[in-house]
Amino acid sequence: MLSWSSIESGTPADLAAIAEGEGDAGLPHGAEIVAFAEAIGGWDDAALASARARLVGVAGEAFMLDAAAVVANFEMMTRVADGTGARFPADTAAFRTDLDARLDIGGFTSAR
Amino acid sequence: MTSAIRADLAEAHRQSLQHVASPGARLDAERRLQIAAAATQGYLAAEPPPPWVRPFADPALDVAFRLARYAGTITQEWYEQVITEGMHPLEWVEIVGIVVATVPPLAFARAAGRALPEFPPSVAGQPHGREAAELAPATLNWVPVAAPADTTASVVQALSALPGEWDNMWRLAAAQYMSDAQMVDPLWNRGTLSRPQMELAAGRISRVRECFF
Repeated sequence: MLSWSSIESGTPADLAAIAEGEGDAGLPHGAEIVAFAEAIGGWDDAALASARARLVGVAGEAFMLDAAAVVANFEMMTRVADGTGARFPADTAAFRTDLDARLDIGGFTSAR
Repeated sequence: MTSAIRADLAEAHRQSLQHVASPGARLDAERRLQIAAAATQGYLAAEPPPPWVRPFADPALDVAFRLARYAGTITQEWYEQVITEGMHPLEWVEIVGIVVATVPPLAFARAAGRALPEFPPSVAGQPHGREAAELAPATLNWVPVAAPADTTASVVQALSALPGEWDNMWRLAAAQYMSDAQMVDPLWNRGTLSRPQMELAAGRISRVRECFF
């Protein structure tokens, strides 16, 4: 979805930011968004407060609130997928191979 | 000055908590709130037990705890083990529905630095029994889904066996992320994050959670 939307918007994003949790993906405030999502995924409240403040500082509170909502949505979707054994159809395997390698996710337990 | 949370988002979270506190297809509201409490504990615990530990010795609560904290470790073998031990597959689906109704309001409040939400009082009544008119085994999910199976994406059909859980999940998705109709436009956004910025946030949290999907 990031590849598709960023190409369509004229600024192809660097997926390494998703895989590595570093960099800005070539997007405005990208580094702060990645750090915010990373901190929500952890359980260090001080780190989360710091990442939140950084994002508010560069983009404003309304932006941070919508970013928090997006992350909350994928805290939901990951559990829907992993709780129901969701998998991709076999005919998407060829497309997935390259993407899985770029994101370094092929070794996950959830890879089905 | 603290910005207001969007009204549609606040309402979707309120409805989700009310949904948890209401009778479900197979479980009454008291039991659903017990499951939500286990999910809350799993999501927020500072020092949780490892994934293979069943902290409650109660299958429904243990599934909720593990799904809330260690979703990426759940395997088909564990699902089948729990079903073999006596849990009905649709009870598993309902537990997933409760967890995914509970975690987003918690996750959002914690992320935004706001007070964690509280559940409303339980609604009295028996389970309502509403299930899909016809169920079918799926190849794209472990769980049974509404027939016909595998004609749509696996995450779309995932909770389709229980329409109440399915409706709540997609109501949340529309407020937190976007609706199906908006998703087909790669440039759609709310005026804050651009669509690529939304996908960057989504991609990173999914990667942190080790969600292959």
